[in-house]
Amino acid sequence: MTRILALVWLAVVLLAAGYLVVRVHDGLPLRTDLLALLPREDQDPVLQRANDTVSRALARRVVVLVGHPFRDVARDAATRLASDMTATGLVNPVIDALDGSRLKRLGTLYFPYRRGLLAEADRALLTAGHGEEVADKAMAQAFGVGGIADGNLLRADPFLLLPSFFADLPLPLTRLRMDDGMLTVTDGDMTWILVMTSLADEPFALDVQERLVGAFKISSAALQAAHPDLQIRRLGAVFFAEAASRTAIGEASMLATASLAGTILLVVIVFRRVRPLLLNLLVVGVGIGAALVGSLAIFGELHVAALLFGTSLIGISVDYGLFYTSSVFDPAGGTPQERLHRVMPGIAFGLLATLLGYGALALAPFPGLRQIAVFSVIGLLAAVATVVLWLPRLDTGRQARHLAGLLAATGWMFAFWEAPRWRRARSLLVLSALAIALAGVVRFHTDNDVRRMQALSPELVRDQDDVRRLTGTTAATQFLLVEGVDDETALCREEALAPILARLRAEGALVSAQMPAGFVPSAERQRENQTLVRTQLDDPFLARQRASLGMEADAADATGANPSFLTLKEALASEAVPMLGDLVLAPGLHVVALQGLTRPDAVRAAFAGVAGVRLVDPTADFSVLLGKYQQRALLLTALSALLMFGGLAFRYGWKGAGWVMAPPVIAILLAPALLMLVGQSFTFFHAMALVLLLSIANDYAVFSAESAAARRSVTLLAVWMAAMTTLLSFGLLAVSGVPAVHNFGSTMLIGILLAFFAAPLASRGRRKTKASPVHGGLAEEVCVRVV
Amino acid sequence: MIRPLILLLGLVFTASTMAPPVLAAPAIEVTPLSQGQVLRGRFEQLRFLQGFQNPLKSSGTFFLAPGLGLIWKTETPFALTTVMSPGGLVQDVGGRETMRMPSARMPFMSKLYAMLGGALTGDWEGLSTAFNITRKTDGKGWRLKLEPTSTDDPAMPIRSIDLHGSRFLEDVDLIKLNGDRDHLVFLNQKVESASPTPEESELLARAGQL
Repeated sequence: MTRILALVWLAVVLLAAGYLVVRVHDGLPLRTDLLALLPREDQDPVLQRANDTVSRALARRVVVLVGHPFRDVARDAATRLASDMTATGLVNPVIDALDGSRLKRLGTLYFPYRRGLLAEADRALLTAGHGEEVADKAMAQAFGVGGIADGNLLRADPFLLLPSFFADLPLPLTRLRMDDGMLTVTDGDMTWILVMTSLADEPFALDVQERLVGAFKISSAALQAAHPDLQIRRLGAVFFAEAASRTAIGEASMLATASLAGTILLVVIVFRRVRPLLLNLLVVGVGIGAALVGSLAIFGELHVAALLFGTSLIGISVDYGLFYTSSVFDPAGGTPQERLHRVMPGIAFGLLATLLGYGALALAPFPGLRQIAVFSVIGLLAAVATVVLWLPRLDTGRQARHLAGLLAATGWMFAFWEAPRWRRARSLLVLSALAIALAGVVRFHTDNDVRRMQALSPELVRDQDDVRRLTGTTAATQFLLVEGVDDETALCREEALAPILARLRAEGALVSAQMPAGFVPSAERQRENQTLVRTQLDDPFLARQRASLGMEADAADATGANPSFLTLKEALASEAVPMLGDLVLAPGLHVVALQGLTRPDAVRAAFAGVAGVRLVDPTADFSVLLGKYQQRALLLTALSALLMFGGLAFRYGWKGAGWVMAPPVIAILLAPALLMLVGQSFTFFHAMALVLLLSIANDYAVFSAESAAARRSVTLLAVWMAAMTTLLSFGLLAVSGVPAVHNFGSTMLIGILLAFFAAPLASRGRRKTKASPVHGGLAEEVCVRVV
Repeated sequence: MIRPLILLLGLVFTASTMAPPVLAAPAIEVTPLSQGQVLRGRFEQLRFLQGFQNPLKSSGTFFLAPGLGLIWKTETPFALTTVMSPGGLVQDVGGRETMRMPSARMPFMSKLYAMLGGALTGDWEGLSTAFNITRKTDGKGWRLKLEPTSTDDPAMPIRSIDLHGSRFLEDVDLIKLNGDRDHLVFLNQKVESASPTPEESELLARAGQL
């Protein structure tokens, strides 16, 4: 029976290997999108969509400043760099400036609707019945020095309302100015030229990052070689993403190598034979291969994070192999099948508990974590199948006795928890553990600020600061989201916001705001404006104005304007209005961009009661969300612990289950307490580590509880090796430069050490029930079901 | 023999925008104002607009304090004060402010200020980055033609500017791209070593604070 199963497994593994070869040959589709790791806002799809659209538009921006003391050199270099970047086919140039042709299009768009378009100040004057002031202002421009009025405009718009409206358009003020077709800023003796492009694709595909950033680096290096004084500053999600993936891939391969090398070294040193090493490598290889195949088949692509965390699987899957192969040190000896039979209950219960832990990861609403969970579950199942079905057949191992020293040491660890003479030391240890836990509780604080969880390249951050300073851009990441059943409703709502925004500006909470209604007033507002112009200007002053300007009474010119209204749709279709495309996410879903925001709280409070308007702060919202999921992860840990306790009670009785649960509970309570004591803040990533820690620590406890008194030191040897390999994988993550990964790794590092040290406690659970063939049979039943 | 040579040199130099045209200063030249000096005078402006039968006529006084700003006080046909400074522009009609605009919002006005200020005080160097300058001199004075270096700059809707003068700038013809034309005549110009009057200081300060 097992022989047939082993052959079936061989067929499955060979098929999977074939599939993997084909996929790798086609090129592995790697994703680095950090957003995929982020939790989805599950309550509000509108907010989610707004957030996605805004962040996608921002993420696609690629901004470069090229500076040189000589204007011409800077301009030539900027032109060269722009064309080199565009030549990759990955970016399109963005013209955000009002150059001549764009101004013309803008004029063409607005001109027919001029009688419905009023600057805020003009509108206020007309509403207050001061039409004469508006008329005087136009006269001043017509007669004053260097007036902007031209003859044609003056005839069509004798009160010059349209130039006023243009001057009032809410364009963000920057230090950039148009200099012969290029946006330029002079700073000290440097002339900086802005090169602005937009990615045609998402910035998170690895090959897009590599090709674009590669082209940028080659081009800028060549330019800087030709002009040593040339300075280049860059800003864009693609640069940050490329630096982050480079770090992640570098770290992943470094950690994987260290993990693998460490594990091999450990196995060779302990067994002093080659075969156990080969057997364990087989287990790991089949596990990882199956995990890769399963993930590719299910998701169609691989996330770099899944790979990073997934390689840690080396350390977990090898546990089962080690638990079996360590049985050669068992003084009782026996054939491979007999030895498998003895360790089977431990493997089965351990696997169950670990799958429970990874299953919890899959429940987290993070697509990336789900991939990690699936990757791990498939890998573990494949590893255990290999241990159970293949290892006894391939194993020729005889009993080994060379580890007397190590076995004595592990035996001593049992003695420490059992022998009466260590009672006082034990009490002392328990007391100090309690003290640490208490101190940790006192210092416990959470911090899920997402800005402190990523490691941003300092060079890029410096470039970003320079770009902001040089251009004078103060765009906030926060924005107001305005919702309405249609565009008209949304525009009306924005017009109602204007007084509140004006008050906030006066209070210094922000510098300026850009809303779609600032570029295209609502139809209602345009109708009001038309009425105002007719009653407050045309009727009382038009004749006088024409006489003063020496114009003939040419009624058709003044009133020949389009009596209908400019619509948002038409303005968007013209693509003439700067920013507008970014501000309108969908019909009825608008963004109000904020500049120079200094007090988000004041803005949030000001709009708290306003229907259809809210302040969106992606960073803060995400941090809040992480906090929420941290709570859920803790709840998940508690729930898993309760489930485990129930399951264990079934086998060991209530009191016995209490002892078996002791090591995992000690690990998940003391590890965060110790980290709090050294000054870490508790984050979502600590909480996720605890979920995993619970199941791994439970593995060790079950291994201990399931071993007969005579085999204890052998079992603890296996647990020691398992702990070592886990430290070599998850524990190594503590050296990561990414704070989130570091938090995860350090929790695992301390927790695993604690779990290993406390593991012998679990064997107290076994004493309460006599080992009997019934239990062995039960375990076998379980494992057959699992496998 | 020497004179045509200097003229030739002048043309060569002024054609290249980097070279300061003052190198080839003709015999009759606007005396650049020195530190603390101000310029006062009268102006007459005729504005010819496309499709208008008669030009818009205005006249008044002007006051220029280098670095601080230009006050353009129209007296006829109605009282209108325009103050231009490097910071921006303020306009009053009959003592009531009708416009207030930082120069960043109005690149054309800041260029105009630079042009007028430069032309009135003989500071040609400031003009040479934005304009190609050609110069002619005859027995009575000099004639300068400014043409924008870039043709598609929305901040410079100007086809050409003709300046004429001797000891002072005397008249200006500013032709816009659409064919509108301003003709300015300057009269009774006086260089004074006096400070601005309190009223003038206040006006300049208002425009400078933008």
